[in-house]
Amino acid sequence: MTKSRRRRVSTAIRYAVLTLWAIIAFFPIYWMVATSFKPDTQWFAWPPVYFPEPPTLDNYRNVWFGAEQYAATQYAISSQKPLISLGNSAIIATTSTLLAVLFGSVIAYGVSRHRILSETRMFQLLMLRMIPPIVVVAPLSLYYAAVGLTDTFAGLILIYFLTSLPYAVWMTKSFIDEVPREIEQAAQILGASRWRTIFEIVLPLIRSGLVATFLFILILTWSEYLLALIITKTQVTTVPIELSKYQGSTEGRVYGRQAALSVGITIPLMIVGLIIRKHLARGFSFGMVRR
Amino acid sequence: MALMAANAAPASTRELSRRRAVRRFKWSILAPLIALIALVLLPVLFLQLYFSFHQWTVYLGSWSEAEFVGLDLFTEVLTDPRFGWAVVRSLAFATGSTIGCFVFGFALAYLMHKPFRGQAVYYAIFILPMLTVPVVVAYTGEMLLYQSGPINDLVTRLSGIEFKPAWLTNPNIALPTVMLLEIWNWTPFPFIIMLAGLAAVPREPLEAAEILGASRWRIFWEVQLPLLRPVIFLALVLRFLEAMAEFPKTWALLQGGPGTATETLPIYIFLTTWQYFEVSKGAAMSYIVMLLMIVIVLVAIRLLRREKRALDAMYGGGAT
Repeated sequence: MTKSRRRRVSTAIRYAVLTLWAIIAFFPIYWMVATSFKPDTQWFAWPPVYFPEPPTLDNYRNVWFGAEQYAATQYAISSQKPLISLGNSAIIATTSTLLAVLFGSVIAYGVSRHRILSETRMFQLLMLRMIPPIVVVAPLSLYYAAVGLTDTFAGLILIYFLTSLPYAVWMTKSFIDEVPREIEQAAQILGASRWRTIFEIVLPLIRSGLVATFLFILILTWSEYLLALIITKTQVTTVPIELSKYQGSTEGRVYGRQAALSVGITIPLMIVGLIIRKHLARGFSFGMVRR
Repeated sequence: MALMAANAAPASTRELSRRRAVRRFKWSILAPLIALIALVLLPVLFLQLYFSFHQWTVYLGSWSEAEFVGLDLFTEVLTDPRFGWAVVRSLAFATGSTIGCFVFGFALAYLMHKPFRGQAVYYAIFILPMLTVPVVVAYTGEMLLYQSGPINDLVTRLSGIEFKPAWLTNPNIALPTVMLLEIWNWTPFPFIIMLAGLAAVPREPLEAAEILGASRWRIFWEVQLPLLRPVIFLALVLRFLEAMAEFPKTWALLQGGPGTATETLPIYIFLTTWQYFEVSKGAAMSYIVMLLMIVIVLVAIRLLRREKRALDAMYGGGAT
């Protein structure tokens, strides 16, 4: 009797704590979405407006489709630019991630089956990710300027490829480790070359793992800020940079517009993240924690 | 192996050609990787070294005109009190937010590690902050925290006491505010790692302890926690390194201000190089920070390697 009662109490406490945190985690996201539907009179209203009334699509129309009628006003920012940078982000993130996963998985196969990198080297590879980019970003920008990579797709793709490689190798390796060797040995006895074994046997076997790795790295690349800020000038701005242009360029804050832009660049990320939610632990721990 | 022992002579030539094939395979993968890293990293490291020893300003035409100044720039950086404070702030920020993230993340993971109704929904909501672009976190943070914004309003209404801290403009609390945003943003990280870790704890010792009548507190403290040590290290180390490098939120929100209240190392390096255009000083600073970070990362890697072995043993052996 007392035991079951104690259990009921502890269950109630658990739900209360979890629900409280769920509110903390979700409220800022709700606020962002709500603000994106507010007319400009409600952006800073006192008391704050919790439910946009009436909800409006103006912010989205203005930000994403450049429908700003009164171009002279302070928040007429370059029309349609966000769509272009959305495209840029999509191209840069998918290309660099695809290359990293492709190359990374081949390295991972080599490490898993033939130890082409010792454990020490595998950890040294992590340095590419762990050293903060700020310490090399100044010479990098000068070097890029010298070789003409500043403000190009190739420049950003190259640097994102290098910084996501450690994740790609470690994460795909944890998937390849789970594939029994007998399968590929059978293929090799039947005369398949090593490369054919990799691309036609091993990688197809871990394809869900490859997709998870791809999406995982996509999340990190999509939201990268510092390197994009330094390396891009005007031509190939990515979405986080585009968003930061709405700040400081005007005297008044344009919360509604910022929110509409934020929603547009965050929702794809959340969908991707929720798709691979089961694999996030593996990704963030460099494949050390499996689940 | 068995084949080799049974039939030594022909097997060894086969083994030799197999080994040669593996070596060829190895270098056909590693050569492009090494070439690429060398092509990008070597010039960058060279430039950084060059600028650390040569005073160069934007007024000079080409790099080669920069004047050799020996260790002057390093002396300048190391005697710059602003740099010292930036180091202190970075360490404080990283330590504080790491502990914050970990405590909340671990507590949530512990509450959730046994199946219950609604678990999947809670999990999905809890990982959302991590899936928000850091710059978006910064701007949304501003919308929430300005002085007559919703957070102050909600706290005032719920508590009935006037609550109006100037989160972003009071220099005394600006850094903790960024820390708060960092904690909101990254609590999901230790959460998912600890959840996976808790799920992987072997059942037998727990059941044994329960049968022996140990209290839940003792089971947690003396059985689960020691078994979780590798995962805890992993979460703390990775989070600390990421927090040391935090730039987007701090920059987008406050640019190091008010005053120098949120001027962490990444911010100070950025300001020196791109606002004051002291490229050489920035390079010397980067160099010092890079060395500092390499030391921290090497220690971290040592820890991670040790803990990875323990993890591999626990999961019943990874391949390497």
